[in-house]
Order: sequence, then C-alpha cells, then structure tokens
Amino acid sequence: MKLTLHIWRQKNAQSKGHFEKFQMNDVSEDMSFLEMLDLLNERLISEGKDAIAFDHDCREGICGACSLTINGTPHGPEAATTTCQLHMRKFKDGDTLYIEPFRSRAFPVIKDLIVDRSAFDRIMAAGGFVSVRTGQPQDANAIPISKEKADLAMDAAACIGCGACVASCPNGAAMLFVSAKISQFAMLPQGQPERKRRALNMVNQMDKEGFGACTNHYECEAVCPKKISVRFIAQMNRDYLKARILKEKD
Amino acid sequence: MALFDYLKSTLLSKVVMAVTGVILVLFLIGHCVGNMQVYIGQEVFNRYAHFLQGLGELLWIIRIVLFVCLVLHIITSIRLKWLNFQAKGQKYEVKNYVKAKLTGRTMIWTGVLVVAFLVYHLLHFTIGVIDADNFSKRNMEYYKGEVVIAEDKVLNGESNEIGKLERQAETIKVEGKELSKENDVVLFFRPDAYSMVVKSFRQPLYAISYIILVIFVGFHLSHAIQSAFQTLGLNHPKYNCFFRAVGPWLSTILVICYISIPITIWFGLVGGGV
Ligand code: HEM
Ligand code: FES
Repeated sequence: MKLTLHIWRQKNAQSKGHFEKFQMNDVSEDMSFLEMLDLLNERLISEGKDAIAFDHDCREGICGACSLTINGTPHGPEAATTTCQLHMRKFKDGDTLYIEPFRSRAFPVIKDLIVDRSAFDRIMAAGGFVSVRTGQPQDANAIPISKEKADLAMDAAACIGCGACVASCPNGAAMLFVSAKISQFAMLPQGQPERKRRALNMVNQMDKEGFGACTNHYECEAVCPKKISVRFIAQMNRDYLKARILKEKD
Repeated sequence: MALFDYLKSTLLSKVVMAVTGVILVLFLIGHCVGNMQVYIGQEVFNRYAHFLQGLGELLWIIRIVLFVCLVLHIITSIRLKWLNFQAKGQKYEVKNYVKAKLTGRTMIWTGVLVVAFLVYHLLHFTIGVIDADNFSKRNMEYYKGEVVIAEDKVLNGESNEIGKLERQAETIKVEGKELSKENDVVLFFRPDAYSMVVKSFRQPLYAISYIILVIFVGFHLSHAIQSAFQTLGLNHPKYNCFFRAVGPWLSTILVICYISIPITIWFGLVGGGV
C-alpha cells in the first residue's frame, strides 16, 4: 500500500509544533497502525533523523497506552478498536492520513504524538479505589452479587483509561472516563462504603484538572475502544448529586 | 456570592442548565397549547388572552420564575461554554465527528437566537413596540359577559375583576354602568388579541421572521431535551429509545404548531373575518 502521512511533530511541551509530510510506499495490509509507524521510524533512524515519538505498550488493546487521532477520530476509523489493534487493511491504497496527538488542554503534548495523561492518575488517586483492610481473605462467595450487576460493573471496569473520550469530546470533557471509574465500584457491594465520597472527590479532581463539561453529544461513547456506555455518566450524575445536594458522604 | 458557587462545579452547572431548561420547555409546551386556540376562533382566543391578563399576581409569579430560569440558564451556558473552550485547547487539523450532531454543537448560537427571538417576540406581542398600530391594547373589542358580584368585587364570567361596585339604593352600578340585576349580561371591553395576531402575520416580514426564529428554537430543543434527561441521570437501556427520541419529536411538533399560525394566517386560511 502507498500512503501519504501528515504527522504532528513537536519538539517539547513549549515549542509550537507543525505537520510533517511523509510518503510511505511499502506498507503491508497486515501491519498494525503502530507497526506502520515503526517502519517509518526505522527509515527515519537509518536516515539519521529524529524518530516520531508515540505512546504504546501492550499492543494488544488492553493497556490504554496507545493513542493518536487519525483523520479526526481518536484510535482511527474502526469502532471499538485501539490504535495498536487497528490494521492497515482498514485503509485504502493511496489514502492521505492526518495523525495528531490526543488534543485537550488537560493533556499537554510532551513530544510529537505523546501527551501527558497524568491528570487521569490524579483523578484515580482522588478516589478510584476501594479501601480494603488486610487480613484473612474471605470466602469468595460470601458476598452475593447478581449476574446483571456483576456484568454491568465489568462493562465499566473495561475502561483502559486511554483518554480517547477526552480527545474526541468537543468540550474536552473526561466524564466517560471518570464515570466508568466511579461506576465500576458503585455497582458492587464492596464499593458502597465510599460510594458518595468517591463520586465527590473524583469529580472535584476532574474539575481541578481543567476538563470540560459534558454536553451529551455521546461522541466519547462512539470512539471508545472499549465501548463504555454513557449510561455510566448518568449514574455518576446521580451519585454526585446525592452527595452534593443531600450532603451525604456515604 | 454563595448563590453562584454552583458555577465552580461542572456537574452542578449542568444540572442548573437542565432544570432551568426543562422549566422553560414546559412553558413552551403550555404556551403552544394556548396558542392553538387560535384555530377555535376569535372568541375563544380572546377569552384566553384576557384570562391570562387577569391572572394578576399569578401571572407575575410565572413571569418572574421564567425570567430567573432564563437568566440562570444564560449565565451558566456562558460560563460552561468558556470553560469548554478552554478545556478543548488546540483544535484538530482534521476533525471527524462520529456521533456529535450539528444541533448539539451549536447550542450556544441557537441559544443566542432564542434570546433574539424572545426580545423580538415580547416587543411585538406583549409590549407592543413592533407593529404598534396593531397592538391589542389599542384594538379593543366588545364581548358579552355575565357579571358576578362577590362581596365588593365585580367579576366577569372569566373571574377577572372588572370594576368597582357602587350600590345606591335599588340600583347597582359598575364603573358608572347600571345593571338591572346582579347576574346581568352586559357588554365589556377587552383587547382583541386575535385581530392583532392576524393583522401582524398578514405582513410577510413578520410572518417570515417569526417562522425562521421559531425553527432555530426547535434546533435548540432537539438536542436539549435528550441532553436534560441524561444530565439529570435518566438513562436506562429500557427507556433510552424514549429519552433520545422525545427531543427531536417534541421539538418538531412544537415548531410545526407554532409556525402553523403565521403560515395559515398568511395564506388566508385563518382570520378571514378580520
Ligand atoms: C426558551 C428558551 C430556552 C429553552 C426552553 C432551553 C432549553 C434547554 C434545555 C432543556 C437544555 C438542556 C440542558 C442539559 O443539557 O442538561 C439546554 C441547554 C443549553 N442551552 Fe438552552 N434553552 C433556552 C434558551 C437558551 C438561551 C437563551 C441560551 C444561551 C444564550 C441557551 C444556551 C444553552 C446551552 C449552551 C446549553 C447547553 C448545551 C448542551 O447541554 O448541550 N439556551 N437548553
Ligand atoms: S498499546 Fe496497549 S492498548 Fe494499545
């Protein structure tokens, strides 16, 4: 396959950044998108040029490290797929692709296509956990959980925290991520003791990080590689309201 | 100010948008139902208009509630728009929306058009600055009504207070008009709102501008209503087909009802007798 790539290059957080054009003539349909970039980087390195910096880790769609906005869609055109799992056969010979970093004020560019997503870590630290006392492990079946609840909690827990929701959002909002992280516990008995406090603290941290306010376009749900549903945002709204208005902590 | 502390929270701001928006939508529905009486005829429509005017304090309470909702809605929308603009940061060179519709992405602009329409509409039909010759307070009509005397008040059949009661021996007078008995049928004056509307909308400029602006209100509502459900936490796979569909449907119905009035009047289907 032949491809024309316009890739965002930016030396560091302070510099302005610009697009650089690359011509690819030897792309295999069986490559993943990241392998296609590896190929380009090998060429750049052999030419003594600076390789394109992009995030990746597991390359099997479970870690959430890979990013990239490809022709205006985070993780590219294939629904429910991370960039690392996106195959080049999804594109046509002769295509022109614009490859940009995930854009949002709260995700500053570090270099080229890598952005700093540590805002998500700080939101998690504000309440994305259950406090568990150490001691004897209790019997696995001691706490009954219905199949429906367990499934729903798993759906929320499928979030890999990649930040595509923020990148796709016209408002730079992080509500899909935050709501998934709140809901995975809100559905389960283990999450109840800190439920309202968690919603309050995580939403407050989200606001502090400078993420926007959702206006319910559901663009996030459409691009999410894990198909996280916006019903969790509604769930978060309910929990947060109960915590704020009723001033209930738990 | 403590009252505006909610603006510091994105979620609370959204809830204020939704609650004030829903109250305004309820008003639009009520107003629409009221307006549809224009199809029943002059008598019914004018009686309704006169009834609204006669609500007195209640009318002012409704007006104040709506005004406060509108002001909160506008303040919050500007604050959120600014926040969201900041949060987005640098724009994409190429942006491809998968699901976000144009009506949703232009809420602030259709909102501005809603304000423009509101000001225009109030100046036109409530305050009477636009098309002043036609304004209803100057277009009065006689109507037949039954007088009801309750203690020292004189009410017409619509329970509006219509004048001061004067009792002199055997005769009862209302504003100098003599009544033969306490439940008399007499002629009263009231604004002829029907004729005003008809005469206004026969002028294409007024009809067209009204139609266009109402359509923009419709665009606003088409995204807004489903958005309000979601913001208020109403989302369930069983009911989402309702939550998502009611916005476009309701706004389409409202727009059709509202704009049908200038269209039928303009084409002479309604108000022929005026
Ligand atoms: C009759 C007047 C109006 C009605 C009935 C109305 C109704 C609504 C409703 C129901 C919402 C949804 C709230 C939510 O998302 O939770 C909304 C959102 C919004 N409105 Fe209005 N509105 C009106 C006037 C205005 C005005 C005058 C402005 C601005 C100048 C405005 C700007 C907005 C914005 C920016 C949003 C948020 C968009 C979003 O959530 O997607 N609206 N409106
Ligand atoms: S690299 Fe781990 S999800 Fe793509």
